[in-house]
Amino acid sequence: MHEPAGSRIDAAPLTVALLGNPNTGKSTLFTALAGIPTRVGNYPGVTVEEKVGRFTHRGRAIDLVDLPGTYSLAPQSPDEQVAVDILRGRMAGAARPDGIVVVADATNLERNLFLATQAMELGLPLVVALTLADLADRKGIRIDVAELSRRLGCPVIRVVATRGEGIAALREGMLSMASPPQPLSLAEGPLGRPLPARQAIARYAAIEDLLRGVISHEPPPGRSLEDRIDAVVTHRVWGTLVFAAVMLAMFTVIFRVAPPLMDLISFGMDALSARVADLLPEGPIRSLVVDGILAGVGGSVVFVPQIALLFLFIALLEGCGYLSRAAFLMDRLLVAAGLSGKSFIPLLSSFACAIPGIMAARTIENRRDRLLTILVAPLMSCSARLPVYLLLCGAFVPDRGCGLSWLPLRAVVLAGLYALGVVVAAVVAAVLSRTLFRGPRQPFVMEMSGWRWPRPAVVLERVREASVSFLLNAGTLIVAISIVLWALMNYPRSDAAVDADVAAGRVALEAALASSGADDPGREDWSAALAALDTPEGLAAARRGAAQRLSFLGRAGRFIEPLVRPLGWDWRIGCAALASFPAREVVLATLGVIYNLGDIDPEEAEGATALERRLKAARWDGTERPVFTLPVALSLMVFFALCAQCASTLVVIGRETNSWVWPMVTFTYMTVLAWLGAFATYRLGTFLGW
Amino acid sequence: MGQRSMISLDDIAVGSTARVQDVEGVDPTAVRLLEMGLTPGVAVRVVGQAPFGDPVELEFRGYRLSIRRHEAARVVVENR
Repeated sequence: MHEPAGSRIDAAPLTVALLGNPNTGKSTLFTALAGIPTRVGNYPGVTVEEKVGRFTHRGRAIDLVDLPGTYSLAPQSPDEQVAVDILRGRMAGAARPDGIVVVADATNLERNLFLATQAMELGLPLVVALTLADLADRKGIRIDVAELSRRLGCPVIRVVATRGEGIAALREGMLSMASPPQPLSLAEGPLGRPLPARQAIARYAAIEDLLRGVISHEPPPGRSLEDRIDAVVTHRVWGTLVFAAVMLAMFTVIFRVAPPLMDLISFGMDALSARVADLLPEGPIRSLVVDGILAGVGGSVVFVPQIALLFLFIALLEGCGYLSRAAFLMDRLLVAAGLSGKSFIPLLSSFACAIPGIMAARTIENRRDRLLTILVAPLMSCSARLPVYLLLCGAFVPDRGCGLSWLPLRAVVLAGLYALGVVVAAVVAAVLSRTLFRGPRQPFVMEMSGWRWPRPAVVLERVREASVSFLLNAGTLIVAISIVLWALMNYPRSDAAVDADVAAGRVALEAALASSGADDPGREDWSAALAALDTPEGLAAARRGAAQRLSFLGRAGRFIEPLVRPLGWDWRIGCAALASFPAREVVLATLGVIYNLGDIDPEEAEGATALERRLKAARWDGTERPVFTLPVALSLMVFFALCAQCASTLVVIGRETNSWVWPMVTFTYMTVLAWLGAFATYRLGTFLGW
Repeated sequence: MGQRSMISLDDIAVGSTARVQDVEGVDPTAVRLLEMGLTPGVAVRVVGQAPFGDPVELEFRGYRLSIRRHEAARVVVENR
């Protein structure tokens, strides 16, 4: 950003820190003062985002640093630690602020002054912004601002950020900050406890003294609207119903509104790819650009609608104050699984897609709970698994009831797969919290803030920030991985080997037809496949399948065959499973290619039935045993339910935890569990004669 | 004068008020409860509890806070 030369009176910008409790309208104030932040990124070594906005006032540039919301300068969370480090000038790469604006919620002054009086001891010039003043007026809270300022020894400015009231005065106050205020004098505090505890008690005593005569509270008659809303929303019965309705709404919107937007993006990317394909000559470069780079870009941009929608909801719920009520209602249930109430929304959204869910875990301040939530979020069966479930269920699960005639078996299996993810997640979280993450339980101390209208500017900022940080941090890595995978799936290539493979396939089909009985259900498909080989499309599909089988990926599939045999799979299934490790949604299309159907779209009816037929007709090499039996289908579905087959998710886990350890841990434990689950399912299924 | 009995916050019935005597313990939880304003002498009202009985919602110093029962058990109160 370039300022006009005339404004460069004082060269260096003034750095002012914005400090305050959570839920004080600090974000709204930040936006009112400085607009959109100019820097997006993490502080070094931590997962706390740096938020700095620049504005000029009377020719002087001011950098406003939005510190993470904190209740005390005796930090108990990484967020609070960052705030303290910056204020003390101990944060690498961040200058010590020249002054502080302490945001104090006028409706909650006693507790807010706790932090303000602590900040006064830092030796930095300080201004107090008394926010939510309109809310205080409505509640009948009267504050003598002049007297408060006199007693504190620093300027106190009444602010209503949403109306712009006090903003100009605050900017002026920042420029004229000169000397640090005199800290409040505290008594000794009762002995026999740790210093922070003694100080806390002494500090509140001093604050009570200070506020006597400065603040008066005459609540308007009758129960306030806020109290009445709360009575319903936290009620045992009504509260739970409201909660279910809100969660259902959120989930439905993401499931219904996102896909059309995602289709739009896919459509756009396909059109772009087609254009590029026209421009480039056929060959490896074109394949790299179209199938590698553009596919990767499309593959990451396509997540943005889901992320944006989820964060829209979260920002709205957080802005109005509902988020704390939701965590309150769900806490007990989640504590049993070693998590906490705040994990609910991240985990629920992971049912749509784990990526926005994992990003949503930023709302969990407790580092341990946040990490646990991130580690088990991928176990929530995401929407990419659904096509796999639907196709395999439809093809191999018998279409009948189970016990209760009105309950279709297929629905039970489907629900069971979802439930499996949830149960395993609960067990994993419970085990981890008692072993690897064992430690002193951090306090669940959560403010239930007053009900407010969410501010549109703040909400949109949240959405923008989440989407941009995803694209910049995760999106780039996803593209890189797509390129690597493209190479693995397309090389080595040799026309001679492909020809040989296709010829061998023809021989196998003829043999199968010759040796099978007249009423063998596979005959129809084998004759169709044999006939297809004589058409140009059919031959191209067969060649494509052969090329894939001969690629690194295909060879890897053969190589791991001993590992997947116990699961009842043949090497082709192993190949498809391997190919879907980067992105599970490609498994059906990959199966299509491997089984020589070419480029089918399994999500369209025609492609799906063709695939179903082909799978049912698949036989173990050289035998008549069908590959896809019910136990095999079930074991494949269980594998998909429990496996971490999404490179994008692993990338996001890495970015959100700022380390490559956790993605590896996630990948490892989920793959192990998936293998064990698939094994158990297959063995149990064959044992029970399903 | 009413009865004076030393009990903890999680014994207080929903809707009732009590006055804080002390917060037991020397760990970060105790410190945080004090820092949030649950200091000796403060009047606390138990507003409600979650469907499973845990956590509880408190009102004091003009705002509402929810804490788990085992945290509330650390706060020694006297009945008003």
